[in-house]
Amino acid sequence: MSAPSDPAVATHPQAGAAAAASSSSGLTFKLHPLVIVNVSDHHTRVKAQAACSGDRASSAAAGGQPPRVFGCVIGVQRGRTVEIFNSFELVLDPVSGTLDRAFLEKKQELYKKVFPDFYVLGWYSTGSDVQDTDMQIHKALMDINESPVYLLLNPAINLSQKDLPVTIYESELHVIDGSPQLIFVRANYTIETVEAERISVDHVAHLKPSDGGSAATQLAAHLTGIHSAIKMLNSRVRVIHQYLVSMQKGDMPLDNSLLRQVSSLVRRLPAMESEKFQDDFLMEYNDTLLMTYLAMFTNCSSTMNELVEKFNATYERSTARRGGRGAFM
Amino acid sequence: MEPTSSAAMARQTWELENNIPAAASDPDALDAIYRYDEAAQARVQQEKPWANDPHPFRRAKISALALLKMVVHARAGGTIEVMGLMQGKCEGDAIVVMDAFALPVEGTETRVNAQADAYEYMVEYSTINKQAGRLENVVGWYHSHPGYGCWLSGIDVSTQMLNQQFQEPFLAVVIDPTRTVSAGKVEIGAFRTYPKDYKPPDEPVSEYQTIPLNKIEDFGVHCKQYYALDITYFKSSLDSHLLDLLWNKYWVNTLSSSPLLGNRDYVAGQIFDLADKLEQAEGQLAHSRYGMLMPSQRKKEQEESPLAKVTRDSSKITAEQVHGLMSQVIKDILFNSVHPSNKASTSAPDSSGPEPMVEA
Repeated sequence: MSAPSDPAVATHPQAGAAAAASSSSGLTFKLHPLVIVNVSDHHTRVKAQAACSGDRASSAAAGGQPPRVFGCVIGVQRGRTVEIFNSFELVLDPVSGTLDRAFLEKKQELYKKVFPDFYVLGWYSTGSDVQDTDMQIHKALMDINESPVYLLLNPAINLSQKDLPVTIYESELHVIDGSPQLIFVRANYTIETVEAERISVDHVAHLKPSDGGSAATQLAAHLTGIHSAIKMLNSRVRVIHQYLVSMQKGDMPLDNSLLRQVSSLVRRLPAMESEKFQDDFLMEYNDTLLMTYLAMFTNCSSTMNELVEKFNATYERSTARRGGRGAFM
Repeated sequence: MEPTSSAAMARQTWELENNIPAAASDPDALDAIYRYDEAAQARVQQEKPWANDPHPFRRAKISALALLKMVVHARAGGTIEVMGLMQGKCEGDAIVVMDAFALPVEGTETRVNAQADAYEYMVEYSTINKQAGRLENVVGWYHSHPGYGCWLSGIDVSTQMLNQQFQEPFLAVVIDPTRTVSAGKVEIGAFRTYPKDYKPPDEPVSEYQTIPLNKIEDFGVHCKQYYALDITYFKSSLDSHLLDLLWNKYWVNTLSSSPLLGNRDYVAGQIFDLADKLEQAEGQLAHSRYGMLMPSQRKKEQEESPLAKVTRDSSKITAEQVHGLMSQVIKDILFNSVHPSNKASTSAPDSSGPEPMVEA
C-alpha cells in the first residue's frame, strides 16, 4: 500500500465515488472510541488470520494487500446530532459484491435485544481511499437508513500523521453532467466519550498495571493525566498565538472570520465567574475538606484504639502477675 | 513453575507495563496473538490441563477491545447489573480474552443468572460471528457489580463452578463501573473457582477492597472458594497507533469532566455505609471491652480489626474525592482566574481584536 494521501485533497477519477470537500447537511457526528478500536480489531484479526492461512490457500491477501473488512455502525440520532456508539462485523457477499443482507438482519436483530436504543446508522470499511464499489454498498443500505454514513479507517500506520486516520462520509445528491448522482462528501466529527470509556481508553492506551498501586502512584497518574491535557491545551493555544503573530507581521493573509473565532474564544474567559459559582465551588471545596477531616478522625480513633489495646495487653499481664485487677478503661 | 517460563513471563509483563512501542518489536509478532490456531486449541481441549490441576490458569490477558466493550456495556447498565460473554482462547497458563459481547439479561442486585434465552442468544451470536471471522470460542462470562467492588457472590460462585465443570476453559470477570469512574481507574477482577472439595492454601487475600455492609456476609462466606487471576492487557500495533492519535482528539474530555459531579450518589452511599460500619465496629469494641479476659490473640488471627478496615475505606474514598477536587481547583485556576495583569503577555499579539481579556 502506498503512502496514504489525505482524503480531503484526494480526487478520484471516478466521479460517482469522488470525495468532495465537506458536507452541507449540517449534521454533527460524534464518534466513540469503541468503534475505532472495534474496526481496528476487525482489521487486525482478518489480517492475522489471512497471514497464517495464506500459504495453504491463496486468499485475497496474496498480493500483500490486507483484505478489506466491512461492518455496520450503530448508534443514536437525536435531531441533528448523530452519535455513533458501537459497530459490528458484516460479511461481503462474494457473488454480488455487496453486503450479505440476511447476515446483517440477523446481526441487527441480535444487537437490538441488547441495545434497544441503537439504530443502524451506516457502515464501515478499511482502506486508504473511497473505492468505486463503495457507492453500491452504500446504496444497498439506504432502505435501512435513509442517509447512511460511511466510516473509513485507513489501517496503514503512518507515524508522521497527527490526525486520526478515520473519515466519515455522507452521501449527497449532486448533478454531474446533467444527471443526478450520489457522491460521498466528507463530514466533520468529534470524538465523544463517556467517563468510564475515557478511563478505560486511558487505561489501555498507557497500559497501566491493573491494581493501581498505592495512593501515591494513583495521585501521580491522576496528575499526569491532567498535566498532559493541559500541555495539549497549551500547545493548541500556542498554535493560535503563532498564527496571530504571523498575521500581524503580514506573513499570513488576514482572515476576518478566523479572527472573529479567535476573539470569541478568548472572550469566553473567564469561563465561569459569578457569585453563585463561587459559593457553590466553595461549598464543594469545604465538603471535601470535611470528608477529609472525618476520615482523619476515623484514622485517629483507630490508632488510638490500637494503642489502648496494646497498653491493655501489657498492663494486664503485669497486673495479672501481681494479682492486681482492672485495666485501663 | 519452571524458572524459564517465569522469567519469560516477567519480561512480558515488564514490556507491557513499560509500554514498549510497537515499532520496537516486529509488528507481525505483536499481532500474532490475534491469530487463531484451531488445531492448537483443539489439542488443549483434549489435553485438559484443568482436569487434575485445581489451579491451571494464573493469568488473564484481555484485549483492548474486550476491555472497552465490557466497561462501556457495564456503564450503560447504570445501577443495574448487566452480563455478557467473552470469546478467546487459552495459551499455557493464561486465558486470552479477545472479544466480548453483551447478553440480553439484566440482573437485579446480585442475581445475575443466565437464563435459557440467554443461552439461545449466545449460541446464535457465536455461530453468526464465526462467519464474520471471529473464530474463538466462548471462554468466560463477565458481569457488573455497580458500586460494590469486584468479587464473586454466592450465586456467581455456583454459576462459575457449574461452567467450569462443563465448559472449560471458563473465566469469570467482574467489573465495577461506578468505582471505575470514582477512582479514575478500571476496577476489574478475573476469577476462577476451585473445585468443590479443594482446600485452598491459606494465602492472604490478594487485594483489600471495600465491600458494603449488606454484602459483606455474602463475600465472607464465599471468598475462599475462588481465586483471582493476574490481568494484563494487550493491543495490536494498529490499536496502539490509533489510541495514540485518539489522545489528540479526546484530551478535552479530561479537562471537561468532573468525577465529583457524576458520582455524588455513590459517594453519599459510601459515606452512609461507612457510618453503618462504624456503628458495628463500635458495638464490637464495646463487647471486647467487657470481655477483657478474652485474650487479644483472637484478634491477631484476623488480619485487621473492623475499625482499621473502616479507616482504610474512609481514606480511600477521601483520596478519590480529593483527586476530584484537585482537578476542579486546577481548572478554576486555569479558566477562571484571568486577570488584567495577564493581558500584557497574552493579548499583546491580538491587536486586531478589541482587547479580549479585560472582562475579568
